[in-house]
Amino acid sequence: MKKTTRSILRVSIILSIIILLGVTLWFNLTSDKKTVQVGDEAIDFQLETLKGGPIQLSDVNLEKGVILNFWGTWCKPCREEMPDMNRIYNEGHDDYEIIAINVSEDEQQINQFLSSLDEKLDFPIALDRNRDVTKAYQVGPLPTTIAINKNGIVVDKKEYQLTVDDIYSFVEQSTSE
Amino acid sequence: MGANPQQYYTENYGTLGKIYIELGFHNLYSSWWFIILIGLLALSLIAASIDRGIPLFKSLKNQRAKKHPSFYKRQRLNLHQGSSRNTADVVEGLKKKGYKVKEDDNHYLFEKGKLSRWGPYINYFGLILLLFGSMLRFFPGMYVDELIYITEGETVQVPETNGKYYVKNNKFTIDIYDEESGTVYDNTLENINETVVSNYQTDFSFYENENMDVVGSAPDLQKVEDYSVQVNHPYRFDLFEIYQASYDNSQMKSMTFQLEDNDDKPVGEPFTIELDNPHQNYEVVDGVNVNIRAYAPDFLEIDENGALISETPVATNPAFVFEIFDSESSELSLIQIMNSTDITENNKYNVKFVENKNHWATVLTLKKDLTMPLIATGFVIFLVGLFIGSYINHRRIWVNTDDGFSISAHTNKNYFGLKKDINPVLRESGYDEILDRDS
Repeated sequence: MKKTTRSILRVSIILSIIILLGVTLWFNLTSDKKTVQVGDEAIDFQLETLKGGPIQLSDVNLEKGVILNFWGTWCKPCREEMPDMNRIYNEGHDDYEIIAINVSEDEQQINQFLSSLDEKLDFPIALDRNRDVTKAYQVGPLPTTIAINKNGIVVDKKEYQLTVDDIYSFVEQSTSE
Repeated sequence: MGANPQQYYTENYGTLGKIYIELGFHNLYSSWWFIILIGLLALSLIAASIDRGIPLFKSLKNQRAKKHPSFYKRQRLNLHQGSSRNTADVVEGLKKKGYKVKEDDNHYLFEKGKLSRWGPYINYFGLILLLFGSMLRFFPGMYVDELIYITEGETVQVPETNGKYYVKNNKFTIDIYDEESGTVYDNTLENINETVVSNYQTDFSFYENENMDVVGSAPDLQKVEDYSVQVNHPYRFDLFEIYQASYDNSQMKSMTFQLEDNDDKPVGEPFTIELDNPHQNYEVVDGVNVNIRAYAPDFLEIDENGALISETPVATNPAFVFEIFDSESSELSLIQIMNSTDITENNKYNVKFVENKNHWATVLTLKKDLTMPLIATGFVIFLVGLFIGSYINHRRIWVNTDDGFSISAHTNKNYFGLKKDINPVLRESGYDEILDRDS
């Protein structure tokens, strides 16, 4: 074999192995990290609300920013942040909407929780019965709160109980352009 | 399902566990360093095949029949005889044994089983194919292995299909072998003293979703067909297979209670609470009602305003606050597993636990493997190469008549077999047996 063909062959084999290895490693490392992150486009969904009737993210998101709050009645921090969210919501929500997505609980449990609260929650509660939306957003721990701006982009995500300041920050971010 | 390995190892083994996780030992075959090692193995195989395969090809292609007398002497098998009269007989004899002959004047080269030398390279080729196939498993859409957990009567989305398919568990069955079936196995079954399962089966309906635009929206399901999967008899659709894998009946489905009066006499009929979506009110007999005031699926504590707090949403330790009211009065009691407490004083009624039922859930696995044909082909080629390299012998014999009759022979393995090829031919031609330097 000529020296030039030899080196061309050598370099191309090593290069193709490196490329294949790189692609494999990349697929391997990205395969289980599909969680929705800040900067991603929000995934549209449609769910039934507790009051009845459907709610669709893209409809609400047309003119308003959206705060998604994934919660369960059995989750203590979720229970504790609800009244704060409700109070701030009632200070005015012309340019944003809160959707509290209950993760796969039955209406009895939700209603029981709501009636134990001192005041009524005014934002819509969506029922994710089969965890379709929870899975689509790859929500791990509860509560998880996601802010979506008017352009449909995820601008913030927190996986713990929100403080009052956090909630104001969420409101501000979701209403920004 | 199962614990989070990251959490588990760091909690139980501290720093050591963290290192273990970082190096991917919990999932070794897809850890980065293992994949790199396999890639380097593939590289060495390819490099070795080219570096040694090409020179080998050249040297086997251009073999010369003419060899120096010192070459003859160096061979393990060689012989020199004074007379070259019977050379033609030897040539004919070896041809009959299946040797190919190359002639150059009065020099001869006999050769057989050259393929043997290619065995390792065929073997490498199979191995590279196999490695390529296993690499493809990491590519999206090539390989799927997922669990599907379905409680009896429920319909769930089939994962990895973007919500296109749904499957409904109509019935899960476990059959056991009958001890009194009248067959020869009866005695054995009786002696081992435990039930032996003959069949695990899930009867399901398979649906296609016609309304898959928006996540979470109610699916519009069109039934494709009903099917029963059993162990090793999967359901096939598109490029997927659904296998019966396991089952679970640890989840509570319902609890049945009986209302009793203070003299332990039953009042009305027992009532059953479906734990997944309980009714609010049960009328046990005319005028006597049981109301669920509170329910916690996994009871933890009673908080300050009297609500029941649940630790998880799973019904593992249910607790209820029942309100029992008849035409005259109403009273409250807290019912837990193995425990009941009156909340109001001087209660007239007791709620007594009768029985609970569990859900039957089937566990199916969804599989797809487009790499299998490649891996299987690679492995077959691997084995063929191994066979060729191990069991075929490359035998070469050189003969010349420059100075009497000279013969020498070489093989890459099995000199005994080579001698058995040569000696009868020499004997019939009137020569001595060939000398073996090592014997």
